[in-house]
Amino acid sequence: MIDKHLSTIDRRRLVKPSAYGGLVIILFLLPLFIKSPYWLHIFIITFVFIIATVSLRTIVISGQFPLAHAAFMGIGAYASAVISKELGWSPWLTMLLGGLVATGIGVLIGYPFARLRALYYAMVSLFFGVGILQVFSVFQKWTGGYSGLMGIPRLLPAATSKLPYYYFFLGLTTICLLALYRFEFCRIGMALKAIAQSHQVASSVGINEARHRVLSLAVGCFFVGLAGAAYAHYNLTLSYTSFDMLATLWLFMYALIGGIGSFAGPIVGTAVLFIIPELFRGLKEFLPYLSAAILFIVVFAMPQGLVGLPQLVRLWFTELRKRVTHAS
Amino acid sequence: MELTATTFVNMLVLSSMYILVALGFAFLFSIMGILNFAHGVIYMVGGYICYQFAVEYGLNQWISLLLSVLIVASLGLFLEKFCFRPFFGNLNRTIVVSIGIIVVLENTVNILVGTSTRSLPAFIPGVLRVGATSLSAERLVTFIIGGALLAATIWFIRNTKPGQQMQAVSQNVEGAALQGISIHRVSALACVMACGLAAVAGCLMGAFLSLTPFMGDYMLVKALELVILGGIGSMGGIFFAGLIIGSLDATLPLFISGAASQAIALGIIITILLFRPQGFFGREAK
Repeated sequence: MIDKHLSTIDRRRLVKPSAYGGLVIILFLLPLFIKSPYWLHIFIITFVFIIATVSLRTIVISGQFPLAHAAFMGIGAYASAVISKELGWSPWLTMLLGGLVATGIGVLIGYPFARLRALYYAMVSLFFGVGILQVFSVFQKWTGGYSGLMGIPRLLPAATSKLPYYYFFLGLTTICLLALYRFEFCRIGMALKAIAQSHQVASSVGINEARHRVLSLAVGCFFVGLAGAAYAHYNLTLSYTSFDMLATLWLFMYALIGGIGSFAGPIVGTAVLFIIPELFRGLKEFLPYLSAAILFIVVFAMPQGLVGLPQLVRLWFTELRKRVTHAS
Repeated sequence: MELTATTFVNMLVLSSMYILVALGFAFLFSIMGILNFAHGVIYMVGGYICYQFAVEYGLNQWISLLLSVLIVASLGLFLEKFCFRPFFGNLNRTIVVSIGIIVVLENTVNILVGTSTRSLPAFIPGVLRVGATSLSAERLVTFIIGGALLAATIWFIRNTKPGQQMQAVSQNVEGAALQGISIHRVSALACVMACGLAAVAGCLMGAFLSLTPFMGDYMLVKALELVILGGIGSMGGIFFAGLIIGSLDATLPLFISGAASQAIALGIIITILLFRPQGFFGREAK
């Protein structure tokens, strides 16, 4: 019995990393088969949003629902773009600075917001996200206001195609996901999950609730700010409407569609919601209906999200087999 | 003097419209336990249906207002039955559904009408002169309709049997069900009322400002502000918060630019909520 138990743990220890590693190798070799710059662009955008969604989940596991996450992506993107454009610093440095600025603002609002819970936290952070975008548009001289920010320095000035960018974003995503995975399954991550289950019990065993919640916000904001900054230096133009309330809600959609209960969920959800609509690009203006259809199918048929699909299929099969044997 | 009068009327108009939309949002939240992020889009669709009937088909504007309310209210009935009822009380999944509704409705408007800004003609054109000051009759009418509807809604909730049933369900779902109240019928009624009120607000605001496919986002944020600032589960709170936010939105742009005034208004709201998380008249924060 014990042996069997151990062997399942060993198998899991081997299977999971090798599956993730295999996925990275496949993605590494993918440009050999996909030459189209358009598809490389889609993959790069998907990578950026995978970082954003997984870092959102890092905050959500502590029981907070920050409806300002896309705004933090905007903070990182604008901070990095404005600093590198106005001061002429290297984008590689300002990218990190963008992440740090997002972290700083996250910590600053994190402490006062830590007295709010559940819905109240979600709503106040939503108002913060809406307000910070208005602040962006007030400082028109630097951020470009409604017409958007243009002329952002390139991350890789020597690059002639999208290929170097593809490998850069693949590497960035891998590193960020490894860091976030380690964070979730270390002692602090466990404390965060304890707070989400019951903040009274967590406090009673000596977990400082406010400090842990601010820490998770800081980590999430750093990675989303970094992703936003890298995106700014790749895309070269920024419009602050792409970081508004609806963008935050879409980040939640990616996580919920994939299944917010597991680490792989947000990754699967983002990939599905970005890549499947692109396969049907011919639909043109009817394309958003496809995204809506995916949302409706998943929410009606799969309560656990897409990650729960294999389990669901297994369940259907056993039901079916039972019914068949019953009939015969 | 004229500026003061105009600002005062603007304040009343904005407050009454905000309260109309927020009241519907609050019904859905307190009765069915859903955060309907699609409420702003439903408000937008109401305005566009009125535009379609009044401008494209040349119907009388008041009749098209009525038609718009009827169509949007039946849309509400449909949404309750097929989109919200299967997920009663499950917050995450209803948020997914409401985003799906946003995508479908917004895209449908984009395809059928286009993304350019449209404007409804004034319901009652002309200027009203009171002594030395002149006021737009349109705005007064908007406020009068809004105020009358709000009074009617409050009367309905307080004094009729279905309204009292709605109150009961919002206080305690199980308890209300044990008293023989049909939860589904009450929530269908709430959804129809919420969508109808949003459609009225959409038509009136479409004539007051202009119609864009994205006007719903702004109104949704306003509705959330009203509901949270007033306190969840309190109707008086929504009125109070509506007057405060309406007067902020009417007076602040006189002194500073639009975006900065929005940022300052939001800053004030966040500060109030940090000191009083449950809002002005809310129950205990859970």
